[in-house]
Amino acid sequence: MDNIFNASLIYATFRSATPIIFAALCATITQQADILNIGTEGIMLTGAFMAVAISYLTGSWILAVLVAMIAGLLIAMIMAVGHLKYKSEICAIGMGVNLFAIAITKFLLNTWLGKSGTFMDPKIVPIPHVHLAFLEQIPFLNVIFNDWCIMEWLVIVLIVFVWFMLYKTRWGLHLRAVGKFPDAAQVAGINVNAVKYQAMAISGLLGGLAGAHLSLGYSQMFTENMTNNRGFMGVAAMFFGGAHPVYTSIGCLVFGFADSVGARLQAYGMPSEIVLMMPYLVTIVVLALSMISKKHTEKKRKSSLQTAK
Amino acid sequence: MSEFSIEMKDIVKSFGSVQAVKNGQFTLKQGEIHSLIGENGAGKSTMMKLLYGLYPIDSGEIRVNGELIKSIDPKKAISMGIGMVHQEFMLVKELTVLENIILGFEPRKGMVIDFDAARKMVQEYIDRYGMDVQLNKKIGQISVGEAQRVEIIKTLCRGANIIILDEPTAVLTPQECTQLFVILKSLRESGKSIIFISHKLNEVMDISDRISVMRQGQYIGTVKKENTSPADLAKMMIGREVFLNIEKTKVNTGKTVLEVKDLWTSGEKEISKIRGVSLDVKAGEIVGIAGIDGNGQSELIEAITGLRAVEKGSVVLDGENITNLSPRKIRGHGMAHIPEDRNTRGLNRGMSIEDNLVADKIDEKPYASHFCLKKDAAHHFAETMAEKFDIRPRNVKALTSALSGGNAQKVVVAREVTSATKLLVASQPTRGVDIGAIESIRSTLQEVKSRNIGVLLVSADLEEILSLSDRIVVMYEGRITGRMRAEEATEENLGLLMMGDVDQAKEE
Amino acid sequence: MKQTFKNSRKILLTMLLALGIGAIFILAIGENPLSAYGALLRGAFDGKLKIGTTLAAFTPLLLTSCAFAVAAQAGAFNVGVEGEVFLGGLVAAYIGINWGFLPKPILLVACFAGAIVIGMLWALIPAILKAYYNISEVCVTILMNSVALYITSYFVNGPMSAGVANAQSLPVLVTLPKILPPSNFNAGIFIAIVVQLLIIFMLKKTTWGYKIHTVGTNPMHAEYIGINPKKVFIHSMMLSGAIGGIAGCIEVLGVHGYFLNNFAVGLGTNGMLAALIVKSNVALAPIMAFFLAVLKSGAMGMQQSTGVPKSIVDTITSVFIIIATMELLFQFKDKKRKNMESGPASPDETIPVTKKDDGKAGASRG
Repeated sequence: MDNIFNASLIYATFRSATPIIFAALCATITQQADILNIGTEGIMLTGAFMAVAISYLTGSWILAVLVAMIAGLLIAMIMAVGHLKYKSEICAIGMGVNLFAIAITKFLLNTWLGKSGTFMDPKIVPIPHVHLAFLEQIPFLNVIFNDWCIMEWLVIVLIVFVWFMLYKTRWGLHLRAVGKFPDAAQVAGINVNAVKYQAMAISGLLGGLAGAHLSLGYSQMFTENMTNNRGFMGVAAMFFGGAHPVYTSIGCLVFGFADSVGARLQAYGMPSEIVLMMPYLVTIVVLALSMISKKHTEKKRKSSLQTAK
Repeated sequence: MSEFSIEMKDIVKSFGSVQAVKNGQFTLKQGEIHSLIGENGAGKSTMMKLLYGLYPIDSGEIRVNGELIKSIDPKKAISMGIGMVHQEFMLVKELTVLENIILGFEPRKGMVIDFDAARKMVQEYIDRYGMDVQLNKKIGQISVGEAQRVEIIKTLCRGANIIILDEPTAVLTPQECTQLFVILKSLRESGKSIIFISHKLNEVMDISDRISVMRQGQYIGTVKKENTSPADLAKMMIGREVFLNIEKTKVNTGKTVLEVKDLWTSGEKEISKIRGVSLDVKAGEIVGIAGIDGNGQSELIEAITGLRAVEKGSVVLDGENITNLSPRKIRGHGMAHIPEDRNTRGLNRGMSIEDNLVADKIDEKPYASHFCLKKDAAHHFAETMAEKFDIRPRNVKALTSALSGGNAQKVVVAREVTSATKLLVASQPTRGVDIGAIESIRSTLQEVKSRNIGVLLVSADLEEILSLSDRIVVMYEGRITGRMRAEEATEENLGLLMMGDVDQAKEE
Repeated sequence: MKQTFKNSRKILLTMLLALGIGAIFILAIGENPLSAYGALLRGAFDGKLKIGTTLAAFTPLLLTSCAFAVAAQAGAFNVGVEGEVFLGGLVAAYIGINWGFLPKPILLVACFAGAIVIGMLWALIPAILKAYYNISEVCVTILMNSVALYITSYFVNGPMSAGVANAQSLPVLVTLPKILPPSNFNAGIFIAIVVQLLIIFMLKKTTWGYKIHTVGTNPMHAEYIGINPKKVFIHSMMLSGAIGGIAGCIEVLGVHGYFLNNFAVGLGTNGMLAALIVKSNVALAPIMAFFLAVLKSGAMGMQQSTGVPKSIVDTITSVFIIIATMELLFQFKDKKRKNMESGPASPDETIPVTKKDDGKAGASRG
């Protein structure tokens, strides 16, 4: 068992969780504006493809990340225009952009990069990792904190940043008011649609970043449909955390933990299909349990048999 | 400088095919309280929403301080010193009172909202007008009266010199109204102008300097308070004389049809949790439940009709225990229910009038046999109902979403009244409908009573309770604070009980 | 009738726009869109084999679009049809392989029964989670699709493996007769058509359909009027699952004759697309299902005879769906209606308040 539960599992968990945290933040921002971002998956996938393509073609990972974010923004804007301007049902257009992302990345992979299935090439420049020399002296911390990908540090900054934006700034207050009661926001002089568009735009940028990390940080390649429902795990985590960036990220860590423990169990003869299934199963179970418990708390709060305060 | 701070001329506004305002005229002088009155659907709220920029006007002109305003939105209205307190409070219940007040013009310190500065600013207004408001509570936790004060402070903090109040007294007790009027008068003293929308003539006579009347989207006229009377205003509003005070039919009570014993049920708010309510309704009488909205009336009705779980106690219908049965079974026992909100519960707006009229009988003959729908029977039934209850348009294939409030409510009333065999629960049966429909719905309730069916009536409108009920119970914070025969009831003693002031109510 | 005409016009316009956007993509890679679309049509209809292949692709899409539409009528967004197809196929294969002691006709019925039951049970999970706890069925069903895929993959690589190079099971002992051999078009189409007709009848003519429609449009009203919205929601999800299961069974018994790993990838999704495009109108869904089947089966031919990769077809369909979801597009003549939707329906109503669903009704969209 020592080979499964050791210090390196902490980093492994975080590493597996990071792409999902990015996705969850992408879903969190829009959820605060009362838009369920079903398209997280598609935004992320497009970002992942563009990151690899640009990195491969230009050799610059920074440019790759930027282009991925712009690609994410574009996809998010398709959703935003459809949903806000032309009144698309959000689930329908969300699934639409997800399928569009799968198709267009496949199409571009075929025609632009001339490959199909998987694209791997030494010319793809990954996002660098941060080596902290002073940590080498402390073995335990070295295992946990050294050689993180830049994006893994960035995600921690982003969690704090999103929290700050939501709960400390005017924009965050406007966003939350728009999400909870748009009419009230409107009569307070807030442009409800503008705020929703902004939320979608930021969500797109975050989703693009999520994809870039997946293909250039977490791995170093692109595969058709490589997000493999990670976007939806992010959405599940968002539900779990009630669209609060910190709690949401904790949810992602639970999924990441299931993923990395599963991977280690494979060495003990666990069939690979079961291992691959684990994160999805755990996500569903955790989501269900957390929502059931929320429902019970809610019921208790409303009960007349409960005395006030 | 123009004589008027607001001038609205020849305003026209349509929503789809419905012309809400056909010929709107309105002027406001500085430092006056100007009431805009008219029955439901007269276009008075729409006029004010146009002034506040919630919708664009189709044609006409709006001048603020003599200056012609081309287009207007809430933000611009605020900047011109116009504030509006909506009938439905525009407050986010998940946010605190303070956050709600400063929403949209938050003071900043760097990137962060400066809550200390905000608190200081808001407190000044609270002190100046002596309004009792707790800034740190969430909106979901405060009372309706307090929420209204929050709305008024909100407009003041934005520098409003003109405050529009859309039916502000509909949700208040008579005593709270008096308090509100004190605040409004002190606002007038300090130079603010107030537009007061209402259809309650006594209030209007009490508070206004001038009064404008609208009817069916048309401007009828403006009068000074000194030169008019409630009777004159009523005539202007309705265009004819109306007798809402229907002669109560003789009570001929029979056995008890509904008995609620020590009922406990959950509530959306702390004050709306039902804690130990008992009441009974006899065949052939109307029992009215009075109370300010949100004191548990909705929850109580939902518990009785099977829409909310009873946590303790029992509901007995004509000798049979129906506690926690499904709504379907409860209907099967002879109870019908006109719900408080026709749009969310009462009707399926995506379906036709005819489908809505048979909705509760859809499994029964002749409307179905062997799981198959019998559309002809439904159609026939619907035509009869449309005739009997004067539902317009008569085309029963029309979607209910296309109906006016009054006709939509008639569909609900028609269905429920024909289904009631023992008890009819009528919750806010005339809310938001025009005066013609009010008359007809009220007389329908009388007719139900004369069929020896018990009626449990909930209304926030004291006048309705007083004019229909044989017995009255008053609810406050999920409990019953008073019971009386209709003859003993007055607006004053009911008002005190509605605020939970049992002792003073007894003295009177 | 006027509404149907308007809908058809809109669908047609959307279709043309999607094909137009597809043409731009094709031009961008230096190919001729007309010849590509021509090759696509030839790939779908040129010869008995190709027509058979198109019809074989149509059969499961007919069922999966119907499955999605039934759930949608009750207000559910059941993305999980694909998982139900997978598991239905797996159970049908298991029964078809191992229950040889049954006479052939009964074995056939048993295969379908098994597929239906598993499909219903699989759909029951997200249905309960949504109805009672208001957990987004979109999220749950998508993740459950992954779980279903890995479950079947585990069985077909492990306990049920035929031991050949491909991940597949042993052949089943009972199959559906092929029509137009050597294509995969088979007698399953008749089952699919019967199911489709039954569903249309059920939704339009029976009290069950009335209830599903009521719950789908206003669950609060349903509850009040005496229809249990949770129950109806769960039932229609289960019905949807059952239809998905049937689709899986037909694929295994009719097309492959054994369980093939990953056989159902895209079947659920494309069915969902077909249903979404026509706003889950069960009567129109088959037309869209057929259109998608043509695109799908013609794509290979197009890829072979022109330089256009078949992924263009998925691109076109996804553009199609994105445009089709936009309610207000192509409503140039209905400006008034748009006005109405942004203002109150009638003057005496207060401004439309977008209140949050309090979760009480359970079966509303989340």
